[in-house]
Amino acid sequence: MTTAVIRTKGTAEARAQALVGRFERAGYVRVEPAILQPAEPFLDLSGEDIRKRMYLTVDPQGRELCLRPDLTIPVSCDYLASPRAGKPAGFCYLGPVFRHRENEPGEFLQAGIESFGRNDIAAADAEMLALGLETTAHYGLAAPEIRIGDVGLFAALIEALDLAPAWKRRLIKDFNHKTSLAHDLDRLAIAAAGGPSEYHGMLSALAGSDPKAAHALVTDLLSIAGITAVGGRSVGEIADRFLEQAALGAQTSLPAETRALIERFLAVAGKPATAVAELRALAKNAHVKIDRALDLFESRFGSLVVRGIDVSELFFSTAFGRGLDYYTGFVFELHDRETPHNGPVVAGGRYDGLFTRLGSPTAIPAVGFAVWIERLAARGRKA
Amino acid sequence: VSAALIIAMPAKGRLQENAEAFFARAGLELVKPRGAREYRGSIADFSGVEVAYLSAAEIAQLLAQGSVHLGVTGEDLLREMIPETDERIVLIEALGFGHANVVVAVPQAWIDVHSMADLDDVATAFRLRHDRKMRVATKYVNLTRAFFSAQGITDYRIVESAGATEGAPAAGTAELIVDITTTGATLAANALKVIEDGLILRSQANLVAARGASWGEDERATARLLLDRIAAQRRARAFREVRTRFAGCDDALLAEARQRFGVESPFGGPTSSGMLTLHCPPGKVHGLASFLRERGAENISVADLGYVFSRDNPLYARLSAGLG
Repeated sequence: MTTAVIRTKGTAEARAQALVGRFERAGYVRVEPAILQPAEPFLDLSGEDIRKRMYLTVDPQGRELCLRPDLTIPVSCDYLASPRAGKPAGFCYLGPVFRHRENEPGEFLQAGIESFGRNDIAAADAEMLALGLETTAHYGLAAPEIRIGDVGLFAALIEALDLAPAWKRRLIKDFNHKTSLAHDLDRLAIAAAGGPSEYHGMLSALAGSDPKAAHALVTDLLSIAGITAVGGRSVGEIADRFLEQAALGAQTSLPAETRALIERFLAVAGKPATAVAELRALAKNAHVKIDRALDLFESRFGSLVVRGIDVSELFFSTAFGRGLDYYTGFVFELHDRETPHNGPVVAGGRYDGLFTRLGSPTAIPAVGFAVWIERLAARGRKA
Repeated sequence: VSAALIIAMPAKGRLQENAEAFFARAGLELVKPRGAREYRGSIADFSGVEVAYLSAAEIAQLLAQGSVHLGVTGEDLLREMIPETDERIVLIEALGFGHANVVVAVPQAWIDVHSMADLDDVATAFRLRHDRKMRVATKYVNLTRAFFSAQGITDYRIVESAGATEGAPAAGTAELIVDITTTGATLAANALKVIEDGLILRSQANLVAARGASWGEDERATARLLLDRIAAQRRARAFREVRTRFAGCDDALLAEARQRFGVESPFGGPTSSGMLTLHCPPGKVHGLASFLRERGAENISVADLGYVFSRDNPLYARLSAGLG
């Protein structure tokens, strides 16, 4: 029994090592970041909700540390701190990550790839999906279900719409944090302008006035009250949003035609080529310009074909997002068709927004994926 | 040796005074046989009980672990410190003291923020503008996370604060806070305002039972006696005794009094000579007295009640149901 377990473990280990060997041969440098990591970047980037799934501790200086819940952030932090920061670089990894999970071990293995600093966006995106497919093939899963999306498409749509800034922020945020924004559109409403009635008169007076003058007035009023920067928000920032609320007026729910457009947009799903055609038609009818995002999306097809991927085998959905706000473009998940409810075996995407959030003065293109080793290995054992 | 029922009591401050007074009213005098500095005690003339004096936070912890049977502490600490609170403890009775609301408060200068929806928008705008998330100072990490999550707010960070949380925005260590407030005076003094729908929890001191404690027959029997006294006192406080006797006093009149004044007749309807004893909520006593005189009563006496013992024991019933 014991020997069998050890042998299984040994085989699984060897198989995972062989996978990373493939990544290395593909040009990715193997890295082994520390297991004990500062908790700050994870909480900041993944949100406070991850706290309950993290193994946290505090060092004698009172700094919060954690057992790394993923490897993307440690690999990114190490790269950013190195002299190569900003230059093209590719890394691969294999090691334990730690997340509290109901009925599953809190420690499990992840492998993965991170590709930083490449400006040939479409080719880099395609390479990630190709390597992801190589990964599943390595475990005998030749034809996984391939789900793809592009966070950039929704962002481009919202950007192109004639909507108040508060609405744009709200829609982008909710897209990032919900698997299906469409279902939530009904409940979507933003705070009534200005809140209590004592401000209504002033707000409506300001609504019609010259924006610069109104801004100066509100800023002055706050300064008279002796208020400068309060809790990290400057007086100018408060004035900006106060006036935004005024401009919003009574528009507390999304205009019906905008809502309908978003719903139709998010309902587009299926084979990528058909989907692009549908999206182009939709944008044209609504007089919304999102050509650039669609062009980038389409240019990726060429790169995928070069990599030997049959684009018509991909399942695309506009509503498919990765649930993290630093994802900015292509996203994908590979699923085992036999166990569709176990979660992805490989998942990744483009997160050009990550490095500025980690403190980089300039944006650095980044794309990568992570592999759930145990999910794939379990499949191997069954076979 | 029969197993003792362990009750965790607050070791200091107003909470201790109020808790002791509460038990004393129920005829349960807490004594420290080995002197006032002792952290162990018992109840005078009541065997089978051990009283452990602890900090309010420790009490919550020990209740969660089941190392004590009963405890008195604030609901805020219970909900904060015990994951899946209701699966680990039973709230037997809210005690009417230690009131505090856990609220979300922002700088008064944020004239654009009134509701949680505003805060949600401000949080996202803040991240986009500053490339970092808005910080919330609090000692209620779990309550804050659950509340913000339910409100759909994601662009924030929690900064744990051990004390003087209300000073964090002025000190520049956080943008806003989640803290307890009773009157709001401390918040106002620190130029903070409570968000209109930002009430996370209306908390007060509770008598609490630990589901995970060893509840043998002895402990249950002791708890039943203890809760019987508390229930008797609670019922006594909820009513005044009203007595009268007059010829027109009949069942129909009693039914009307029940309906209009919420009275109870613990010893049944009027006797053949029209003698009646009622239990009346304190606020309805004067109305009831006028009503009875209109119907013919010459004299009515009203008295405070010491205890009202009943066959049923709602507090023990709650405990028993909770323990399963």
